Amino acid sequence: MGAALRIAGKDLRLRVRDRSVLILGIIAPLVLSYIFYLVFGPAATGQGLSLEYGVVDDDRSEISTSFTAVLEGAAADGILELTTFDESAGAASSLDEGEIDAYFHIPSGLGDSVFANQAATIDVVGDVDSPTSTQIAASFAEQFASGVASSQTAVATAAVVSGQEVTPEFIGSLGQDPASAAMSFSFIDETAATKQLDASTFFAAGMAVFFLFFTVQFGVTGLLEEERQGTLARLMAAPIARVSVITGKAILAFILGVVSMAVLVVATTLLLEADWGAPVGVAVLVIAGVLSAVGIMGLVASVAKTPEGAGNLGAIIAVVLGMLGGTFFPIASSGGILANLTYLTPHAWFMLGLAELGSDAPWTAALPAAAAIMVFALVTGGLSYILLRRRLAQ
Amino acid sequence: MKELTIGWVNIKRMFRERSNIFFVFIFPIALVLLIGVQFGSGFAPGVAIHQAEGDVLSDRVVEALRAEESIEVEVLEDPDEVITAVERGTVQAGVLLPAGMDETASAGDQVEIGLISRTDGTGNQISSVIGAAIAEVMLPVGAAQFAMAETGVGFEESLAVADGVSGSVEPIGVEVSATGEAIFPDTLGQFDLGASSQLVLFVFLTALAGSSALILTRQLGISKRMLSTPTPMRTIILGESLGRFGTALVQGLYIMVLTVAIFSVNWGDPLGAVLILVALSAVGAGAGMLLGSTFSNDQQAGGVGVVLALGLAALGGAMFPLDLFSSTMQRIAHITPHAWALDAYAELVRRGGTTVDILPELGVLFLYAVVLLSLAAWRLRVVITRP
Repeated sequence: MGAALRIAGKDLRLRVRDRSVLILGIIAPLVLSYIFYLVFGPAATGQGLSLEYGVVDDDRSEISTSFTAVLEGAAADGILELTTFDESAGAASSLDEGEIDAYFHIPSGLGDSVFANQAATIDVVGDVDSPTSTQIAASFAEQFASGVASSQTAVATAAVVSGQEVTPEFIGSLGQDPASAAMSFSFIDETAATKQLDASTFFAAGMAVFFLFFTVQFGVTGLLEEERQGTLARLMAAPIARVSVITGKAILAFILGVVSMAVLVVATTLLLEADWGAPVGVAVLVIAGVLSAVGIMGLVASVAKTPEGAGNLGAIIAVVLGMLGGTFFPIASSGGILANLTYLTPHAWFMLGLAELGSDAPWTAALPAAAAIMVFALVTGGLSYILLRRRLAQ
Repeated sequence: MKELTIGWVNIKRMFRERSNIFFVFIFPIALVLLIGVQFGSGFAPGVAIHQAEGDVLSDRVVEALRAEESIEVEVLEDPDEVITAVERGTVQAGVLLPAGMDETASAGDQVEIGLISRTDGTGNQISSVIGAAIAEVMLPVGAAQFAMAETGVGFEESLAVADGVSGSVEPIGVEVSATGEAIFPDTLGQFDLGASSQLVLFVFLTALAGSSALILTRQLGISKRMLSTPTPMRTIILGESLGRFGTALVQGLYIMVLTVAIFSVNWGDPLGAVLILVALSAVGAGAGMLLGSTFSNDQQAGGVGVVLALGLAALGGAMFPLDLFSSTMQRIAHITPHAWALDAYAELVRRGGTTVDILPELGVLFLYAVVLLSLAAWRLRVVITRP
């Protein structure tokens, strides 16, 4: 064990002096998770999406003003930005200038048509370069239209039931607001109670575990570098057991992995307000995750012929597992084969374990996922130990 | 001609390495496919439903959601299974229909329906699809409750009337149009968006990865030896740049041809599309050269290259549509060449633009290329001739 630790210590000094591990192990995941959070965060949270709309009300009826009121309400809630235009020419030129993404045009006569039960439309005119914002604008209008339809149906039903015609007098005689007909149901959003990672934690954790495999690789490929430089033969000639040489490299890889993950957990908690969950549970997951990375990268090193070969194969494995494991975007939701394949990666289990931990679950919630990750670690680690031992014997 | 020879050697070296074949040719296509599957229209996202009781109203809701083409409905026995399915991400949203919906509705009370959605991906959009479908089912119910309260007629009877009336009500239509000679969104294929983003991302990534080959060339002293032959500095620099440029261009053309052949991606005007690629490859070559002449450790350059390539791609809109960026973020995005290239592709694909329409974007891209290549040439001259 002493020899193994000395080998690990020597390699550690080597790696610290060469700043590559710092770049790939800490700076890369930190910078990327910050950028991803900046770019994808608004979409994931539904807040801070840039929706700049205009509205032109040529109708000025009760119905059209209730629509503008809905939009103004959404603007007050910070969901969108709204500019009111007197005529559609103004809105159109503002759209051309790129000041707004889309505008709603309520043509005159809309209110009358609705009361007369005749066809009427709200026009949504969008910027060709803002297809997504335009779609969202259209869904605002559709939602409003469905609310109006519900009032229309309510009034018509009441009229038929009481054997009367729908006239302004009849509408005036109604005791309740027809808009209340839309209140026959409501959604209870229970999403908050589910165990899902929020955007900042998702990106922080995803990038951390993605780059973990690159970080760990620095430790493992050291063996191949020694082989090429000829220092491995000298190590073999010294009174050091083969197991110590292999363990030394594995210990180094483990230390690099754990240190980089620990730094990332603390840094993203402070900088990105990531919420990793119960510290003990996170530690268990991190240790299991690092061990699985050491095992998988050890396997790569044991089949590669040169350090470059190991680096390249390792990169392929790390990228494929990372993508498949859903560290960039959640893979399971695409359904089908991919949704099942994702669980063949330790990455997916790592993310799952963190989601199980949530913000207030006890640390033991991470144990099933950690156990699954340990299966990867033991199988690949055991296999690579056998292969590397055989290789050193030659 | 020596420039071409140096460039050709670089391309050959690149493709002799088998792992590069994976990253240059296999990986991008796999990713286009994956993203197409993930966000495209051909594969409907899943919605899990639990019915606490199979009464009339809840059956109607399930039926309406089943009829919705944009989602794939799955009815589960246990409400916890629905929650787990959303948490695991096997479905994008879950609907929990309470027991006694009929009774609640006929008593004139509000029916409370549980809704869970993914906090990432397309959860938000799916929720609004579900909301619209359920609102349609509940529309006659609301009308019946209204009529019941107004007239005192029983719920059953009111509902029967409301069901009949709801068909004759003329709802407000929503007509969507776009400015200019717009051809979106119907002609935008499932893979169109993904393909141009992937092209921009990968061309740049490959070009930056080329920096490590340049470092190796310098480390092995090949650059110095080339300089000791009657080869002017400018030829070496041009040749090395051509190598990076060539690899990026080959990859870009490959992605274009294959996406057209397999996924029928529409790239718009072919000349314009290729010109954007040429400009982008030149920018990438410049960035790769600058990286390769600034760093002296190929592992460091590789790490910085990955961060730059992925980070700039995310910032530049190659991972998330630019039009959803806030105006500040859009300005920041246009610091990256990615955003300009994507704008140019959008012009070609969405507006049916021609080469003339994308001249401004092409100009900006070539300016990037010139600046980066000049900087790289200067740096390379310094590091090669340094004693």
